Amino acid sequence: MSVTKVLFNMRLKTMMVLAAIAGVVIALRLIDIQILRHNAYLQMAERNRTQVLYQTAPRGRVFTSDGIEVASNAPAFSLYYLGGKQDSAYLTRLATDFAPSLRVSQEELEHALQVGAASGKTVLLAENLSTKSTVALQELQYYYPGIYLIEETKRHYPYGIFASHLLGYLGNMDEREWRKRNNKLGYRLTSKIGKNGIEKKYEQELKGKDGGVFLEVDYRGRVKSIIEDKKWAAGSDVYLTLDFAVQQAAEEGLKNSLTGRGAAVAIDPRTGAVLALASAPAYDPNIFVPYIDEEQPASKKISEYNLALQGIYPPASTFKVITAAAALESGLIDPARKVTCTGKYNSGPRIFKCWGTHGPVDFLEGMSHSCDVYFYSVASQIGAAAIERVQRMFMFGRPTGIDLPGEKAGNLYGPTRRARNKTYWFIGDTLNLSIGQGELLVTPIKLAQFAAALASRGNIYRPYYVEKIVSNQTGSVRQIGHTEILQHADLKPETYDMLFKALKYTVDNGTARRAKLKGFDVYGKTGTAQNPHGEDHGWFMAFAARPGEEPAIAVAVFVEFGQSGSAAAGPIAHDMLKAYFDNPHRVLAPKTQDDYNELLAGEENA
Amino acid sequence: MPSLKQLAAGRSRMDFILLGAMLALVILGALCIMSAVNSISWTNPVVRTHFVALPIGLLAFFIGKSFNYQIYDEQWKALYVFILLLLVGVLLFGSYQRGSRSWFVLPFFSMQPSEICRVATILMSAAFLDRRGRRIRDVTSVFYLCILLLPIFGLIMLQPDFSSVVVTLPSIIILLYCTGINVFYLWLIALLAGVAGFFTVSWTYIYLHPELLEYPLVRIFNELAHNGWYIAGFAAIIILLGYLAWWLFRQFRIYLPSFYFVLATLVVLAGLFGGMFVDHQMKPHQRKRVEAFLAPRSDPQGAGYNILQAQIAMGAGGIMGKGLFSGTQSRLGFVPERHTDFILAVVGEELGLWGTLCVLGLYFIILWRIIAVAYASGDRYGYLVCAGIFGMFFTYMLINYGMLIGIVPVAGIPLPFISYGGSNLVASLWALGVVQSVYGRRLRA
Repeated sequence: MSVTKVLFNMRLKTMMVLAAIAGVVIALRLIDIQILRHNAYLQMAERNRTQVLYQTAPRGRVFTSDGIEVASNAPAFSLYYLGGKQDSAYLTRLATDFAPSLRVSQEELEHALQVGAASGKTVLLAENLSTKSTVALQELQYYYPGIYLIEETKRHYPYGIFASHLLGYLGNMDEREWRKRNNKLGYRLTSKIGKNGIEKKYEQELKGKDGGVFLEVDYRGRVKSIIEDKKWAAGSDVYLTLDFAVQQAAEEGLKNSLTGRGAAVAIDPRTGAVLALASAPAYDPNIFVPYIDEEQPASKKISEYNLALQGIYPPASTFKVITAAAALESGLIDPARKVTCTGKYNSGPRIFKCWGTHGPVDFLEGMSHSCDVYFYSVASQIGAAAIERVQRMFMFGRPTGIDLPGEKAGNLYGPTRRARNKTYWFIGDTLNLSIGQGELLVTPIKLAQFAAALASRGNIYRPYYVEKIVSNQTGSVRQIGHTEILQHADLKPETYDMLFKALKYTVDNGTARRAKLKGFDVYGKTGTAQNPHGEDHGWFMAFAARPGEEPAIAVAVFVEFGQSGSAAAGPIAHDMLKAYFDNPHRVLAPKTQDDYNELLAGEENA
Repeated sequence: MPSLKQLAAGRSRMDFILLGAMLALVILGALCIMSAVNSISWTNPVVRTHFVALPIGLLAFFIGKSFNYQIYDEQWKALYVFILLLLVGVLLFGSYQRGSRSWFVLPFFSMQPSEICRVATILMSAAFLDRRGRRIRDVTSVFYLCILLLPIFGLIMLQPDFSSVVVTLPSIIILLYCTGINVFYLWLIALLAGVAGFFTVSWTYIYLHPELLEYPLVRIFNELAHNGWYIAGFAAIIILLGYLAWWLFRQFRIYLPSFYFVLATLVVLAGLFGGMFVDHQMKPHQRKRVEAFLAPRSDPQGAGYNILQAQIAMGAGGIMGKGLFSGTQSRLGFVPERHTDFILAVVGEELGLWGTLCVLGLYFIILWRIIAVAYASGDRYGYLVCAGIFGMFFTYMLINYGMLIGIVPVAGIPLPFISYGGSNLVASLWALGVVQSVYGRRLRA
């Protein structure tokens, strides 16, 4: 064998060894990619080909106790871009065609599209589209692969401002909330969550399980097939204790009142259930979930200030009930004894005025005319400590304990409190206290609780407004609200009898005449809180019963700067009581959704 | 494993192992192409063209096998002229498609002459080297061969068809290696390519990252591509360094011929100019490819997208694969160029690791058999031809697999027998026909 041949063979062998080494390296890397990293790559491939169009589940509805749906769902459409590799000319064309119907600028839309094209992920271009513009969009979607229109639902409040402070509203999650909720399944960055009221408090129950369409798409985002269509599951329904008619009467009344600012609360004195909780000014929660292709609300600024819970004012003459109770309880006062009102009361160092000149008045007349002089005289007889004791019995200066955020406690006023603060108590303070002026402060709901406590002869309830939550999936009922007595104001029965008599007398013959309701026993007391900073505030407190029955409703109405309790607040209370007893919905009063549906079906058949 | 000698023994006119591996690849390729374009219908242009090209390719194989391979040795000048004519012809009459003028469009079919030229160039180079006789291992042979090949590469670059150069150049180097040439010269060539590549890649990197120009050294380096003074200065430094090295070796009493140092210096300078030439020729999309190779994940939707999607496809296939016509990555178009350059991704996704290893194995069998034929060949020319063709298939395999597994930049090179591409198929089959011809005539030559 020649030298050349040996050299050739060596070189051939070297080449073969090189090829073998290359082959082994390639094979090892293939094993790495196809076995060791198989799962990761498989996931990436699945992500590539599947796009998910989420469908927001309808939120649970909210019903009043008389079966009116006050928060429901309306159809809304969402426009998605499925991503995929598209050239920018296509995206520009798409943006130009779609921007007008979506009410966004072309640049914004194009940017969103480019993000989708770059990430290869679905982009929500627009949500909450109304049915009107979808006709045009349906047509366009056939010309542009990768664009997909799906039907969803959006929150709708059919009665606008109805109980808006209680219902709350929806909004987008901020980053912190998103991180908090992200680990719980079912929340996407675009998910709307409850921002206030019931929407926030029962977010978990109201929010259903979102559905989704899993699509197979090609590299341009064109839909090839539907892999899975997962149906959504609607959220649970919330049933309130509110009485639709009473709440509406309260809101109407406040809206049409002198200043349009105030609060009205109605409580069932048998259970503590809130029948109405109105606070003005209110807002329309619909503005937070508008159809984006329709006229946008000018401003989304709202007043979340819930006057019924957060407004603290002197209770004024309505407080005379406490003074009266203290007087009756003390046994020092003969109700028949007359005090002559000359319009002035001389306490020694100072002269206190009455709002009128009532002449000689006994207990009933003193209450019915709300005569200050009578109560000055009574208070100076029984002393401020006795009044403070009854205040404490009715839990003044403490929040009502309703399950709503931000409730103010108000302020208890009396010598003990004063002593604790290491200042002095003067006779003038006693007189001020007796007519509910001075440092004494209450919220409207507190006064309603007090009215209910009187009506139930001493039971101070924790007010509740959510009756139950009914699952739409399993039909299971979760009872939320229940009667809870916080304290019993243990006054003598005779005291209550006398107070009832006096309050009824006030409605029948006195300052609270406005609340008179034919055929019903109405008990009430007005109040006009002196306001050194402006017009006086008007108060009205009442409860009512069908003849021979227990009182069924207790209300407290407050009109800020209303000038007069009887003129401003009285009519509202009257309307609320009337609405309660005449409520046409209550006749239906279905207890469950099934009953309600049955009823509707029956009507249709008829 | 039997020795090469035993395998080459026997009296058969046909290497059936090579033939079997080739046919297996062709059949697998046809299946994969149909799967890649997701069609088994005659109406699909890709499927139709492939099945028209197949018989032509088989014909080319039999022509290659039947003709005595020594014809190419005899007629090497005619072959050379034929190559030049084809390349000039395509520049004059070719059709301009996708940025290059490399296609003859004829009434019923199109062909890519550079594919045929690739094999012809190897045959011609082997003939030239064989005719150098005893001087085959001289450095002059390399030099003359370079001069001979320069017009061919020049014409190909005018199209431009980089992939042809990328495959032919390594084939020629492997051919040179197998002539038994002093490895030093090959190192020089590698150095040349290395220097040229280094400059090109660096300039490209700077081009794509202009913010780097804030550093003065980088700016000076970048200026080397354009500014004559800088180039002259750099050349002077290199010459000085070469002289210094020679002088240093002498000081340590290591006596090497000064010729080596002169050559090394010249090669570095040639590398610089080569790098400059390539840099000036490069188009933006080619720069992007280099970028994608340097950092494939930096721009997943741009240049790196292709390779990432191909790897996703392969990885998703796993061991068993998803089955033919069932790969989502290829069927839904995420893998780009899935029936040509990235056909292996389709194989990987649909036939899994078995598929990719099977193709690799069949390629390895082909390479091994070509070596065996080279070993058994009756004359030096047969040996050289086999070495060149081995180099060609080895390069194809290396680049195509390397591209997929991310060790070689995306070069747009098909995988012979598997990828769609009529001209490539015909040329590759012809090359294997020539190898069979060498085998068949091993005893007579």
